[in-house]
Amino acid sequence: MENNVYVIAEVDNVSETEYREYLNPIKTRRYGRLLKRALVSAMKAIKISGIGQPDAIINGTALGCVENSERLLTALSVEGESVSMPTNFMQSTHNTIASLIGMYTHNHGYNCTYSHKNISFESGMLDAYMQIKLGKIKTALVCANDEITQDIRLKANKVGLKSDVKDRSYAVVLSSEKTDKAYKMVEDIKISHDRINGDTAEIIYSKI
Amino acid sequence: MNKRILITGMGVVSAIGNNVAENYDSLRKGESGICKVKYLETEHIEFPVGEVKLSNDEMCLLLNIPYTDKESRTDLLGMLAVSEALQSAGLKDTEHLALISGTTVGGMDRTEKFYPDNLSADILENHDCGSGTDRIADYFGNFDFATTISTACSSALNAIIVGAEMIESGQKDIIVVGGTESLSRFHLNGFKSLMILDQSICRPFDADRAGLNLGEGAGFIVIESEDSAKRRGANVLAELKGTGNACDAYHQTASSENGEGAFLAMSKAIAEADIQVTDIQYVNAHGTGTPNNDACESTALMRVFENKMSKVSSTKMYTGHTTSASGSIEAIYSILSLQHQFVPTNIGWSKADDSCVKPYVVGPFGKIDNVMCNSFGFGGNDSSIIISRYGE
Repeated sequence: MENNVYVIAEVDNVSETEYREYLNPIKTRRYGRLLKRALVSAMKAIKISGIGQPDAIINGTALGCVENSERLLTALSVEGESVSMPTNFMQSTHNTIASLIGMYTHNHGYNCTYSHKNISFESGMLDAYMQIKLGKIKTALVCANDEITQDIRLKANKVGLKSDVKDRSYAVVLSSEKTDKAYKMVEDIKISHDRINGDTAEIIYSKI
Repeated sequence: MNKRILITGMGVVSAIGNNVAENYDSLRKGESGICKVKYLETEHIEFPVGEVKLSNDEMCLLLNIPYTDKESRTDLLGMLAVSEALQSAGLKDTEHLALISGTTVGGMDRTEKFYPDNLSADILENHDCGSGTDRIADYFGNFDFATTISTACSSALNAIIVGAEMIESGQKDIIVVGGTESLSRFHLNGFKSLMILDQSICRPFDADRAGLNLGEGAGFIVIESEDSAKRRGANVLAELKGTGNACDAYHQTASSENGEGAFLAMSKAIAEADIQVTDIQYVNAHGTGTPNNDACESTALMRVFENKMSKVSSTKMYTGHTTSASGSIEAIYSILSLQHQFVPTNIGWSKADDSCVKPYVVGPFGKIDNVMCNSFGFGGNDSSIIISRYGE
């Protein structure tokens, strides 16, 4: 018998006034805008879900903490290869967000990051959905995190490009248990690719 | 595993060869592919690297695509390896395949070349990791599912793990999984900033090890449900028996002293494979050559194997650390170890370190039935898989 997959918490667009409740300002002083927002969204979703620790932390991000990549790229083009920017480099790596959520919440479970354009989050959802169905895990935190910087906007506008990346931090907690927090069920996740339409994804929920 | 998952094809391009046969040959001869930088435009010639010995236009020629200087090296390497994998699995003309690729560099090698003032729409659109995977998928045209995993140096091994999950859950029957990474000025300077690059060829598990060498390449394997493989009479190379991933939850770029994440990942893989540590004859270690990684990985290995340590070696001194591609390139080396019954020599090792395992250099070994392959990434993203000889 395959397990059902319930959504037991959902957090979208936390406000900065909530940060203080979750973050230690000294520990997070080197974190950029996206990292802080991602951490707070994740921690708030875990808190709402009431599960303590998820069995998996999965993040979907098209560009990661791209502000850091920009800083390093700019420094390399302006100052050349004498630059030393360890923090920006570390935080430019796409899995920084999921890792930091793991580190911040002392979570040793499954940890993964998807970076596939507009279907990054859906890929992460599929991963969690399959593992819960198979009984490999009971709960999962799945997030979507991206930032659009001023620099990306300018560069994209200059060449007439419209990015479909959304500036947002979103987090859900999935569970195999129909807890009192459960309010919808994941019925199916369909992801497909073809040369003409690129990548499309659909998450089908049902009411409970 | 809820279902048996078989490996029915593989393709690799690395500093030690442009296909599986060349890689195998170099491993057998103990020949490193690490040397002075040639293709990457960088001032840092003091750091030897494991470059693939092909220029971008040479790769375009091999792939029969026009060279425009806008192609990401990451994509070209990936296309070459996927092509060999499909060919070896006899799937060139099969449709509805899935592709899961691991990468972190993605199109950064092009972005950094044209940054900041000459970025055209196509360079910007091709910058991210996912668009590279799509271009690889579209080059072949037989993929109707594509996604990308980006967990730094463990990306490719995680792609294998997720691919296995998709087969187990019945989403797909045949999946091409692996990773691709080209060198970039961006991450060479990034690793330099972290002060973990060695100016000599890296010496994993040696007392005098001083860091890693960056490398590049791509490795892809075809994994398939047993039913599908039997149905189409596929040539089975090996079986994927167990997988494990865990978070060290310790530091962004360093491993915890007790190697907790690595310990958990290896333990999960062994439990899923339903075998004992004594059933594992060879471990292809992550073994980057940094003081921190090798000591922590050794601690984790000693916690897992206790006094029943199997043969262990790293192959990073052959290829350099191919970062996001390392997991699948080394999974292919693990398959070669099973197929040809040999243990790759941890070349260059000379001085034992009390905090490290003693890697395999020379000497006899028994029949190899099960191999463990480790891959660890930034953020303490630790993964391990067990690959085994396939028997009915």
